Amino acid sequence: MNAGITRLRPATAAGLLIVLFWAAMAAFGPLLAPHADGGVMSAQVFDAASRAAPLGTDYLGRDMLTRILIGARYTVGVAAVATGLASLVGTTLALCAATVGGWTDAVLSRLLDALISLPSLLFALVVVASVGSSIPMLVATAAVIYVPGAYRTVRALAVNIVAMEFVKVARARGEGTLYLMRAEILPNIVLPVLTDFGLRFIYVVLLLSGLSFLGLGIQPPYADWGSLVRENIEGLAYGAPAVIMPALAIATLTIGVNLLVDGLAGRRGGGDGR
Amino acid sequence: MSEQTPGPFPARSGADLPQGASRRVVMGWLAGAGLGAAIGLPAVTARADAPKKGGSIRVAGYSSGTSDTVDPARQSLSTDYVRCNMFYNGLTALDGSLAPQPVLAESIESGDARVWTVKLRKGVEFHDGASMTSADVVYSLTRLQDAKLGSPARPLASQMTEIKAMGPQEVRITLSAPNADLPVVLGTFHFKIVKNGTTDFTTAIGTGAYRCKEFSPGVRSVGVRNPNYWKAGKPYLDEIEFFGIADDAARVNALLSGDIQLAGGINPRSTRQVKAAPGFEIFETRGGGYTDLIARLDAQGTGNADFILALKYLIDREQMKRAIFQDYAVVGNDQPIDPTNRFHNPHLPQRPFDLDRAKFHFAKSGIGATAVPLIASTAASSSVDMAVLLQDAARKIGLSLDIKQVPAGGYWSNYWLKAPLCFGNINPRPSADILFTLFFKSDAPWNESKWKDPKFDSLLLAARSELDVGKRKQMYWDMQAMVRDDAGIGIPLFLSGLDAHSARLKGLQPIPTGGMMGFDFAENVWLA
Amino acid sequence: MSPLARLLAARLASGVLTLLIVSLLVFLATEMLPGDVAQAVLGQSATPDAVAALRAAMHLDQPGWLRYLLWLRGLLTLDLGRSLVNGLPVASLIGSRLPNSLLLAGLTALVAVPVALLLGITAAVWRGTAYDRVVGVLTVSAVSVPEFLVATLAVLVFAVRLHWLPAMFYGLDLRSPGHMLLVFAMPVATLSFVVVAQIARMTRAALTNVLDSSYIEMAVLKGVRPLRLVLRHALPNALGPIVNAVALSVSFLLGGVIIVETIFNYPGLAKLMVDGVSTRDMPLVQACAMIFCAAYLLLVLLADLLAILANPRLRHP
Repeated sequence: MNAGITRLRPATAAGLLIVLFWAAMAAFGPLLAPHADGGVMSAQVFDAASRAAPLGTDYLGRDMLTRILIGARYTVGVAAVATGLASLVGTTLALCAATVGGWTDAVLSRLLDALISLPSLLFALVVVASVGSSIPMLVATAAVIYVPGAYRTVRALAVNIVAMEFVKVARARGEGTLYLMRAEILPNIVLPVLTDFGLRFIYVVLLLSGLSFLGLGIQPPYADWGSLVRENIEGLAYGAPAVIMPALAIATLTIGVNLLVDGLAGRRGGGDGR
Repeated sequence: MSEQTPGPFPARSGADLPQGASRRVVMGWLAGAGLGAAIGLPAVTARADAPKKGGSIRVAGYSSGTSDTVDPARQSLSTDYVRCNMFYNGLTALDGSLAPQPVLAESIESGDARVWTVKLRKGVEFHDGASMTSADVVYSLTRLQDAKLGSPARPLASQMTEIKAMGPQEVRITLSAPNADLPVVLGTFHFKIVKNGTTDFTTAIGTGAYRCKEFSPGVRSVGVRNPNYWKAGKPYLDEIEFFGIADDAARVNALLSGDIQLAGGINPRSTRQVKAAPGFEIFETRGGGYTDLIARLDAQGTGNADFILALKYLIDREQMKRAIFQDYAVVGNDQPIDPTNRFHNPHLPQRPFDLDRAKFHFAKSGIGATAVPLIASTAASSSVDMAVLLQDAARKIGLSLDIKQVPAGGYWSNYWLKAPLCFGNINPRPSADILFTLFFKSDAPWNESKWKDPKFDSLLLAARSELDVGKRKQMYWDMQAMVRDDAGIGIPLFLSGLDAHSARLKGLQPIPTGGMMGFDFAENVWLA
Repeated sequence: MSPLARLLAARLASGVLTLLIVSLLVFLATEMLPGDVAQAVLGQSATPDAVAALRAAMHLDQPGWLRYLLWLRGLLTLDLGRSLVNGLPVASLIGSRLPNSLLLAGLTALVAVPVALLLGITAAVWRGTAYDRVVGVLTVSAVSVPEFLVATLAVLVFAVRLHWLPAMFYGLDLRSPGHMLLVFAMPVATLSFVVVAQIARMTRAALTNVLDSSYIEMAVLKGVRPLRLVLRHALPNALGPIVNAVALSVSFLLGGVIIVETIFNYPGLAKLMVDGVSTRDMPLVQACAMIFCAAYLLLVLLADLLAILANPRLRHP
């Protein structure tokens, strides 16, 4: 079943290309930026595209292309790590709860219910106040906010599988919990789990702008794409590229991630499923 | 009335306090000032464009929340000022040149600027029909001093050592020390008159032009015309609905869609959008408000005089004015007295944006490559943008400023006056004396940079009692030079208040205490 | 049905425990936040003696745990206390906003859930086709545009340019169903953008997962008609994750819609809670947190129950 790129469906290949493109921008974007220092380069704010500023200028007259390229690192990197963490932790806990059941399930479920009920604004403010803001804190905060959601989704999937005959059979064979989680249950829910990852990725990207606004995480002059949209929102009335371009960047990135995820899941879930 | 304007600036009488208001001169300057002189529209405008009665408007301010109040003593945001100006009156009010004009007081007189006699207007009724008397005034002023109430005006109110009713229409106010500014103080936002004994402020019962039909904190307030209003002919509108829209863009869009007729405190970035739309206008109020860079002199690092000078030379005022404020600002000179103030010193050399001199002083400071944290927050308006531009300039001389954007909630209590390098945001004040006393005197509670200069303090006190306007002006000029050169404060710009309104809304005249006519538009505007 | 009843009882009991944990967490969080309500109220004019006086007046000089216990005691007698900021009863502050939040969440769910389910189910049935991919890309693009951009753009087009819809709420005087349709059109549409994607994507994923499994293949071989196959055989097994996605979405609609409430000036609970947090108004924050938590617990309980009822194998774990 190990197919190469050649066997990818076009949609999956497109997703992969987009994701690779933005990953490259995250790594090398600052080197490619036309105005390396990212400072004010024009007296015109919300300017349209020009030779000097291919994507126009932002609300202070900075080059938008440079801002987006520098922002790629913060958006792609932070979102990928935070989402990965949230999904990994959420999925592991959920599989554990569904497989073991009983008290483990009850306690984990109630604890995470409590966590999800805690207003994320309050949570973010406490983090800023008590540990200050830094990129690791931003990643951790975003991950914590989205663990319970991932947990609930995966648990709902897993309990269906746990109730199936083949799991009961495996259990009767005397297989360990870890084996059940990894070999019997997970392969059967890969598609929804990955879909959930794709959605959560979007939410984290969007969450960043809200957290930056509170002062948690990426500090000026740098900004993630969501914050770029937010800080230039007044430019929308002028049709400024400054607000449209970062929104497009978010859209392409998230579409790419979701196409890729769908493709991957389709190949695995479709093939091995029972 | 002739004593009113003895100074050399008759047109701008008492921009700060009654000119030449000596302690010995009887201040009858308010006496006899009838309705015509009451705060309002210059006769010229009135003739050209006569006010029309009727109609209702919706107005949005820049914020709303559960802390919204109609208790004059507890106002803290401009949205509170709008509400209280709708429902209440003060004894005086400040006009377009910041001179106090009589409102509920018919006259305020003093022989020594320490003991003041306030004669009240007769026939003024509260919204519930009760007559306004001296008991109401005594109650309203006394409660400002109550520590448990936590009124922001308490520091100002505590100079009144005795507030006594001398009859149904007369109140005597005794001050702890002479202060010719009392009529100005009484015209500021918090000194509104409420009904004697009022403790429940779930609704507002005042003497104002509008009655409170609804007050829901964080939702909206509705005022309906007070038919018994004591100012003949006013107000013009039947009803005003006031609420807050915190999102800048949404507030402007609500105006342009016709859902509201007046949007308070708009972002300069939106002015182009408003000007491009037919039927809408920008209303600019020039004044002395500013957002300032604060370097604490008593802190390690930022206390270094060369470092502070380097920062001041790094402020690109023209760029900030253009990029952040779309030119709706006046270039400042690191001292707080703005050009509309009659004591502004125009001969003080303008501090330029000068990278070479900044570099020189930065090198001398020995800070080197150490990153210096710079705290900014949306709480101090535009400070994040200013910080970004400053950081941009600083990088060019090798100074690394590390911007820390912090939450707006709690900014004033946790960072302002505490962080070594941060931003403040100072609203316009009615006089140079009040401004210097509150923010620059050595023992001032809000001495932002902890700048202490005994010479400045003695000049401040001397100026307060100086009768010769020329000498007094010289003193204020000297003080401005001292602040500019020695305090740890960078004042890049004086910011204009910006409101946007439907062209049908007439009657707005700038009052420099704030936008929306010093937040007192309600009884002065009409729909054409 | 007795295991179900037992489960219900257990969940209700554990729900109370969760509420207690949440209230404790919220209390600890508000204690950890710098500044208190006295400083927040005084803002820039918070001089030390002014803060001290106001603190005393608000009984903030009592130790925090005592205030928490007093609040808890009040809660037992259904007394939510008074807002520290404006002295109004918290119950009345919430009472005036809760119906608004329920209305907005309800209307959005009414629009978004059927649309999302339809999109998700059809995409799963025709999985791998162009239709499936178009739906996928469209729903993902819709959710990836920040809410404030969608809302602002909608206002610019439909209120400022075309004058078809009001830019925001005022007074909430819903004179007629027609008027209500007009004022709710944009907020509901904006929020639908957010939740449709989640529900549709999860529906598609969960259904596809089941449709690709062996027992469905068996049913196909037996000649079960496609519609019946999806509705009777596949959907019940996929219902768990789907109703979970719906529950999570609806609970977001109740408390997480601060951006929409701000832009459209809608007096709902989310804004009330944000106010409470920024002014450190403990009783208000607590009450809001309790409501959101209770609503969330109720929704996920409902989701779990539905999943169990739909999948007989789950009834006897």
